[in-house]
Amino acid sequence: MMVRQRENPDSFRAGVFSVLVHALLFGALLISFNWKTTHPISIAQVELWDSVAVEGQKAVPVPEPAPKPIPIEKEIPKPEPVVKPEIKPEPKVEIAIEKKKVKKELPKPVTKTNDALAKLQEQARQEALKNKPTTNDAIKKLQQELLNEDKAATEQQAATARTAANAGVVDEFIAKIQAKIRSHVNKTLCGDGNPELKFEIGLIPTGELSGSPKLVKSSGNPLCDDAVERAIRMSEPLPLPQDASLFSKFRNLKLTFRPNED
Amino acid sequence: MNASSDMSFLTLVAGASLPVQLVMLILLITSLFSWWYIFIKVASIKRAEKDADHFEETFWSGGDLSKLYEVVTAGRRKPQGIASIFEAGFKEYVKHKQQGRMEISDVMEGARRAMRAAYNREMDDLDAHLPFLASVGSVSPYIGLFGTVWGIMNAFRGLSNVAQATLTQVAPGIAEALVATAIGLFAAIPAVIAYNRFASSVDRLSVRYESFMEEFTNILQRKS
Repeated sequence: MMVRQRENPDSFRAGVFSVLVHALLFGALLISFNWKTTHPISIAQVELWDSVAVEGQKAVPVPEPAPKPIPIEKEIPKPEPVVKPEIKPEPKVEIAIEKKKVKKELPKPVTKTNDALAKLQEQARQEALKNKPTTNDAIKKLQQELLNEDKAATEQQAATARTAANAGVVDEFIAKIQAKIRSHVNKTLCGDGNPELKFEIGLIPTGELSGSPKLVKSSGNPLCDDAVERAIRMSEPLPLPQDASLFSKFRNLKLTFRPNED
Repeated sequence: MNASSDMSFLTLVAGASLPVQLVMLILLITSLFSWWYIFIKVASIKRAEKDADHFEETFWSGGDLSKLYEVVTAGRRKPQGIASIFEAGFKEYVKHKQQGRMEISDVMEGARRAMRAAYNREMDDLDAHLPFLASVGSVSPYIGLFGTVWGIMNAFRGLSNVAQATLTQVAPGIAEALVATAIGLFAAIPAVIAYNRFASSVDRLSVRYESFMEEFTNILQRKS
């Protein structure tokens, strides 16, 4: 009943054609149509690289939680682990390198913990020296503990680093937004002196304004206020960081302008 | 949700909810079938037109009708199109003639009835699958729309659970859902175009068959 008897000779060819048409269309769809959403590349790359680097460090495999029994003689003669590239056998050395890197990038929040850790490690070494002949197991345990502590510490560092980097990004983009708006302000309308005005603006994720900018504090000169408001509208779209999770910081912005101050 | 999420066609289809995927599957099958019938119809209508041209040419070139009848019935396959109408009418006419003692009007009436029956069979074959194409053309956009509405409903329901609603949370769902409408339109547009074209072709063929019937009746009447 699907096809009439007299249509039989054509039916196979027609079926092949039909499948061919669909394959062609599907292929055209995949090739010609760009289904990837693209986002304009922003200039935030420096910061982004920074945070990526921190994350990458976190991803560096922290040596196996169960370290092989390392000959302790080897461990002792290193009071200050020298950073040699590619020192494999010792998990501790690697962590030390890691810590150094992190330290370089985030100077403030971590130094204290680092010192404390170093002290602890030193203590552990002393103990290890003392108990060397008998309590191999205890040393192993201690090492384990130290390792765990290190791991936790690095994770914490990474988290603080990220928030720090984010704050940096937010500040930088607010500065960028302000700079962009300022470049559009017609300063001659603001007269002499140093008027200051505050605007509150709402943004949507594309960088456009979600409503009209609200004047919070007037400069006292309506012409100047209008000039700044026009400038805000002209600077659409405003620069926003690529990281969508940061957008909540930009939804409502309070911006202060001093048009005559450069 | 990541702002730069992968929106390739395949992920859109794979990420859609089950009813939407079902709708897409139905539409794909419908589209395959409708294109299949379209190609079958193109071939069969083209063949019917060629047969009609060929037969009319030989018929009007003069010559003996019984000889033509022999040629038509000699072929291995059953005569099709005008040839089958001619064959049915002439056969009936000859049968009645052989019985003798029949009114000429009765003979003509019998031949006409036989031709009418053959004509109806031909028309049935020509009209085959056209209703299917018509249904696909009119219904598949609605099926696609159903899938889209369902998908968008889901997308918005998911939105109600979030405190801060942004476009990135609904956009993928809506894009997924719209694929269903796209497939529905892809199935419907060719079906409608093909239906209209085939309907007009079949109409012209049927007019040709009917006028042939009238003319052939006249020839038979003159002959007897």
